[in-house]
Amino acid sequence: MTPSLADAAEKHLDDVYRYVLYLTRDPQAAEDLAAETFERAVRLWHRFDPARGSERTWLCQIARTAALDHLRSEERRRRREQRYAGMAEREAERLVEPVSPWLREALGALSAADREVIALRVILDLDASSAGRVLGITPTACTTRLSRALEKLERNARTARVA
Amino acid sequence: MSPETTIDDRFDDIVAALRAETPATPAALHARVSAVTAAPQAVPRFTARRILSFAIPAVAGLSVALALVVGLNTAIRPAPSDETAAVARESSPPAATVSPTYEAGTVQDQARTLAPSQSKGQPSSPGPATNRAQDYNATLLLLVDGTDELSGTTQRALRTTRRLGGYLVSVNYATPEAGEGTAALRLRIPVSRVQAAIVSFSGLGRILSQETRISDLQQPLDEVTRRIRRLERDAAQARGAERTRLLAQIASLRRQRTEINRRAAFATVNLDLTTHAPEEPAPAPGRLGRALDDAVGILLAELVIAAYALIVASPFLMLLIAGFFGNRAYRRHADQRLLERA
Repeated sequence: MTPSLADAAEKHLDDVYRYVLYLTRDPQAAEDLAAETFERAVRLWHRFDPARGSERTWLCQIARTAALDHLRSEERRRRREQRYAGMAEREAERLVEPVSPWLREALGALSAADREVIALRVILDLDASSAGRVLGITPTACTTRLSRALEKLERNARTARVA
Repeated sequence: MSPETTIDDRFDDIVAALRAETPATPAALHARVSAVTAAPQAVPRFTARRILSFAIPAVAGLSVALALVVGLNTAIRPAPSDETAAVARESSPPAATVSPTYEAGTVQDQARTLAPSQSKGQPSSPGPATNRAQDYNATLLLLVDGTDELSGTTQRALRTTRRLGGYLVSVNYATPEAGEGTAALRLRIPVSRVQAAIVSFSGLGRILSQETRISDLQQPLDEVTRRIRRLERDAAQARGAERTRLLAQIASLRRQRTEINRRAAFATVNLDLTTHAPEEPAPAPGRLGRALDDAVGILLAELVIAAYALIVASPFLMLLIAGFFGNRAYRRHADQRLLERA
């Protein structure tokens, strides 16, 4: 029997929030995107098919689409600002506590693609198959991408600790 | 643990650090999402999946129903052979026997094919008229059993011909395959004995078909005779070159009359012998069989139409599929590049 969306939201809101927070590194944007994810889920809930994946995977796919839309609009906004201000905006470290400063700095040096795979596999603890479905890649490619991302994160963490 | 679920041991420390500092969800977000998901979710009435789940069985059901309707319609109607027989009964005169008439100047042809059940019976071919000159032509197709009997029957037919005062014009005897063969005999038989000949030939095998053609020769014969008499009267009064010309014409007409008499004196009998039995016509299917045939025919026609439509549409479908997958690959690539930059 298909569970209700309210139950799924209660169960997986934390995962969705953490995922979009890792992607955007912006707590406010992450809150908005998590809320938007569930607004979209309300409209699309009739299309959810448990046979094709878990609720969490399905919600993460919707969250990813919302986050990509957000990142696109952010990129356009930054370009406009660069064109008119003639200077690059320095991205603030926006991951809030309780993330340690060294970890925040190490994560901040990663690309969103690396943070995304870390969020799915480490923070949300999805298996490679489910994470690959969210990312649109094979489980093997997902494992490879995770290894590279963690290697980079370790390097960045060492540098941040030394500094 | 499979590599799908585990993470490489080398990263245990950093993984532990990440998991220890998992960010917490703000309480305000919980309230916000609860408000969003608590609202009743409207289910659209028409979705592609619903339409397809209804349309596909509906189209299949309609196709089968159409086939059933056509099949039932066929089952209700009488069989075509029954209809033909009924029409034949209604249109035929009560005495539809073979009874040719022989009028001067007309040609009477009789051609018929006997059913195999009418085999060794007496042939009911019309006989020649005794008081008129006629060109009598009969054709008999007989089935004999094997090449041995074919040879024997051919010999017997020749003996009968000679006994009745006739002669053989031509014979074409062939056994192209073992056990299979044909013999085509062209015989000339005195017209007064042709009926006896046909009766005799009919006993040589099973009659598969019989054809009799009779052309009246009495009228041209009378005409030639009248012209000869007129010319003889003219020649009696003529002198010199004129008389010579008339006598030549009379001689020519007499030759013509002799030829007609010769044709009328002998009948031509084409006797064809074969060892190859004609294929028995398949028994007409019953009502249920015809209904099934028609229903299956309709279903096959529908399948052919569907296959044709698919073949015509397939290039466009291929383009659509290629476009869909190409667009998806492009979007994925663009998304990945965006994430690499962000």
